Amino acid sequence: MEDIRAYIETGILELYVLGDVTPDEKLQVEEMAKKHPAVKAELDEIGRSLELYARENAVEPSEALRDRVMGSILTNLADDNNFPEKPQHVNHKVVELTARKESNFYKYAFAASLALLVASTIALVNTYSRLKNSNDQLVAMQLQNQHFSNRVNLMDRELTIFRDPSFKLLKLQGTAKTPASVVTLAFSPAKQKVIIDMGNVKLPENDKDHQYQLWALVGGKPVDLGVFDAKTDSTDMKEMKSIALADAFAVTLEPKGGSVNPTMDQMVVLGKF
Amino acid sequence: MSKKHKISLTEEQLVFSLRNHEKIAIEALYDMYSASLFGVISRIVIDTAIAEDVLQETFVKIWHSFSSYSTEKGRLFTWMVNIARNLAIDKIRSKDFKNQNKNQEIENIVNSIDEQRNTVYKPELMGVKDLVETLRPEQKSIIDLVYFKGYTHVEAADELGIPLGTIKTRLRMGIQQLRKHFN
Repeated sequence: MEDIRAYIETGILELYVLGDVTPDEKLQVEEMAKKHPAVKAELDEIGRSLELYARENAVEPSEALRDRVMGSILTNLADDNNFPEKPQHVNHKVVELTARKESNFYKYAFAASLALLVASTIALVNTYSRLKNSNDQLVAMQLQNQHFSNRVNLMDRELTIFRDPSFKLLKLQGTAKTPASVVTLAFSPAKQKVIIDMGNVKLPENDKDHQYQLWALVGGKPVDLGVFDAKTDSTDMKEMKSIALADAFAVTLEPKGGSVNPTMDQMVVLGKF
Repeated sequence: MSKKHKISLTEEQLVFSLRNHEKIAIEALYDMYSASLFGVISRIVIDTAIAEDVLQETFVKIWHSFSSYSTEKGRLFTWMVNIARNLAIDKIRSKDFKNQNKNQEIENIVNSIDEQRNTVYKPELMGVKDLVETLRPEQKSIIDLVYFKGYTHVEAADELGIPLGTIKTRLRMGIQQLRKHFN
């Protein structure tokens, strides 16, 4: 009881009635009033005296105002009564809904745009990966296409050479040093052309410091016809330097770029007409 | 004053019929409390026309948010006067109101405020003579600032240059005096 008295004397109840409390204090006072009849009685007393004080200080509004106020309220009341439910509740709900509707619209609009964004991103990624696939396939096809056209070109050239009666085919056989080696070349004295069929070259692969060099033997003298590399996967028809006359052809392994005179002990193949 | 008889109900009847949205309830409410509420509003909003707008808004708000009132929270008038005071303060702080005031000439403001002050203080002069004697001036000024003008007690302490503790004590003592006076 002492506590209640002390609580009342803090003056918080006066401030509560005057509407000068924080929301927390407001809840606290209402809680106390519920628990303690003395607090509730005190609140009522303070309220009553301030109410009477306000009545002492009352100011009559103009008479016309009464009709205006009634008009604005009772017009709404008539509207409210059209609802089958309790008008009070319906009215409150309507007010809240209009406020909420607006914020809902933005919420939904935001959600919708987000969903749209996600959907379009997925679609974009899909389309992009499909496009990339198609591009890859296209590149592969082009490569294949080029490969085929190369082969066709090559075969075309091979055919032209093999059909040409002026060309003579010569198989250079391996020397004692490299008996397994074979180099096939076509020679046309009329056209002064020497062509090596790289697809039929059987030589050990040269390292990067050495190259094979083709020689023509003319009257017992070696004539340089250019260098070439022996690779297992080459298929080309390689045209060498031109010459009109040759008794024999030979290939030696020389330092890269070739030599002026053949290194005889490095001769790998030799063929004579 | 009005042509019709003013309607008066007990607070209990009034609360009951307000809950049921009965037409008679709002009429009784207006007849019983409009002048008291207008007394508070017109001390905050000096312009009579605007003060009447606020009074109208007050009754509309009371009518529509009556479900949030409960007798446990205190007297009906306490609840209503807080609504009226808050709406009045909102009004004078609103943009429209401030703009309106800017449009007046300075000399005119002095005149119009003097005029309006007279009407505002008239009832006080008429009705509260004996009350003024029971309430000490320093108590009255604080109660009026907080109750009628809508100051917080902190603002009132600033305005009057008095410590917060003293403000609270004087408020409480003043209201004690009022209780004695009305009993």
